[in-house]
Amino acid sequence: MSREEEIRRALFEHTLGGHAPEVKALTEEGIARGMDPADLLFGGLMPALEEVGRRFERGDYFVPEMLVSAKAMQAGMAILRPLLARTGAKPLATVVMLTVRGDLHDIGKNLCNIMLEGAGFTVVDLGTNVPAEKMLAAVREHRPPIVGFSAFLTTTMPMLKANLDALAREGLRERVKVMVGGAPVTQEYAEKIGADGYAPDANAAVRLARRWMEERGHEASQAGGAPAAAAPGRG
Amino acid sequence: MRGMTSKQRFLAALRGEPVDRPPAASIVSVATYELMDRVGPHFPAANVEPEAMATLAAGAHEVIGLDSVMPIFSIAQEAVALGCEVDWSDTSMMPNPATHPWEDRSVEMRLPDGFPDSFLEDRYVRCAIEAIRLLKKHFGDEVMILGKVMGPWTLSYHLYNVQEFLYDTLMDPDRVRRSLEVLKVVPVVFARAQLEAGADAIVWADHATGDLVRSTMYRDFLLPYHQELVPQVPAPVILHCCGPTLDRIRFFREAGFAAFHFESQVPPEKAVAEAAGRIRLAGNINNPVTLFTRGPAEVRQEAQQAIDAGVDIIAPECAVPLQTPVANLEAIVDACAANRRTGHGTEAAS
Repeated sequence: MSREEEIRRALFEHTLGGHAPEVKALTEEGIARGMDPADLLFGGLMPALEEVGRRFERGDYFVPEMLVSAKAMQAGMAILRPLLARTGAKPLATVVMLTVRGDLHDIGKNLCNIMLEGAGFTVVDLGTNVPAEKMLAAVREHRPPIVGFSAFLTTTMPMLKANLDALAREGLRERVKVMVGGAPVTQEYAEKIGADGYAPDANAAVRLARRWMEERGHEASQAGGAPAAAAPGRG
Repeated sequence: MRGMTSKQRFLAALRGEPVDRPPAASIVSVATYELMDRVGPHFPAANVEPEAMATLAAGAHEVIGLDSVMPIFSIAQEAVALGCEVDWSDTSMMPNPATHPWEDRSVEMRLPDGFPDSFLEDRYVRCAIEAIRLLKKHFGDEVMILGKVMGPWTLSYHLYNVQEFLYDTLMDPDRVRRSLEVLKVVPVVFARAQLEAGADAIVWADHATGDLVRSTMYRDFLLPYHQELVPQVPAPVILHCCGPTLDRIRFFREAGFAAFHFESQVPPEKAVAEAAGRIRLAGNINNPVTLFTRGPAEVRQEAQQAIDAGVDIIAPECAVPLQTPVANLEAIVDACAANRRTGHGTEAAS
């Protein structure tokens, strides 16, 4: 096995295990050896986080395991992010993410952000307790094709619909796909309030965003235009 | 069986004794905009002024018809008294801890100087205690008066920040145990003060939920504390934990709680089977869909399912959305009233 292959495998294992110092050292070594930053991301870091996501979906992993893996991945991403930007790899799309007004819980949203970024999306994170006005301003400024709203409390879930209503009121609803999530949120609730999609976890959020961008690219190509965004290279 | 008072009904259900009908309850917050309009006080007054807090809480019985009242609508009383910043000013939102002093790892984890006196003298803690005193004066022994405290796990979320705390459960478990150890006295002190003021039982919120952590984490970190602390509260204690909890009811029932207040993510018949008669159950009417978006008929149907499954006390699963219609909360009472029992049997539902 080549050292490059060893580095990919070790990145996978150490990200899975949440060992941030090792991930940092391996990423630095890979770069020093001339490995493509995208190769390190898509050959080691992202597969590990996707595996963490699958284990979470199966109920084998819980939030602490997700957090330690995400933190380990961030140790690698801190090195790779500027290098990836320099290579000119175009992001898949911009996603505006937020936790709704009145709600300060953001673990799920933060995990989604990390997964989306790793998958090639540019994430604009508006943080927690975000009023509808701030969300509208971000949609106007960044013109994202996708926005994600998170609510962790049954008392703040109504703000998901309030945000959807605000988008419609301002004539922005047709411009964006809206995904919603958070512990008490369900597919049924998402449909009832008119969201475009429901993501029970970070992996699902990435799948949903990818699917929407593929559909958008397909529609654009059928209409004779260029795909909405190019996927980043995979080394 | 002759009619029981609300308090008799609730206490009998907590003990697993026969009741004239299942109690319909406010376990955590049933504060809604409509209820505020009906009784007068709104947020923020109802979170920070004893009279307003007691008046809104009393509406759970006097307007909705529930058998219990519970005045501590938010989860932030202890947090603010322990040093978290909380914005109490919003008229439309539940207050939440916005800062977390122990997030900074250089800050020593310890209780504020002068604890417990300084804690009990804090404006927001005193407000809750005084509201209970007013409710006791108003209802006497007719209506079940519930107090509420945050357990050491949830207090750790507030003091430490949820994300950092959960991260440390794997990466620095000793710091997690230190946090629990420092905070363990807080719910006992607050619960005793609420009981002294007139509470009949205590709701103990500790969110070691399946949404966040595996069940063995509850067993290994928190169960020993519950077993140590719950007997120090001289009244029935009702555990509240949100989310999917079916896999940990077998641990909850070993902790000494009188009852467990559970959410709709756990099917009631499965909860009853897991409880195995060793812990009573309260819940579990769905908030976001049934109570918030559907009508009284659907609420009655879901309440009936919980009654049929053997849930002892029928209640919303968690703090209800503020926009919930009062008619939907009244439907819980209707469903319970339709199950009036003679002896151990049940009269035909009206």
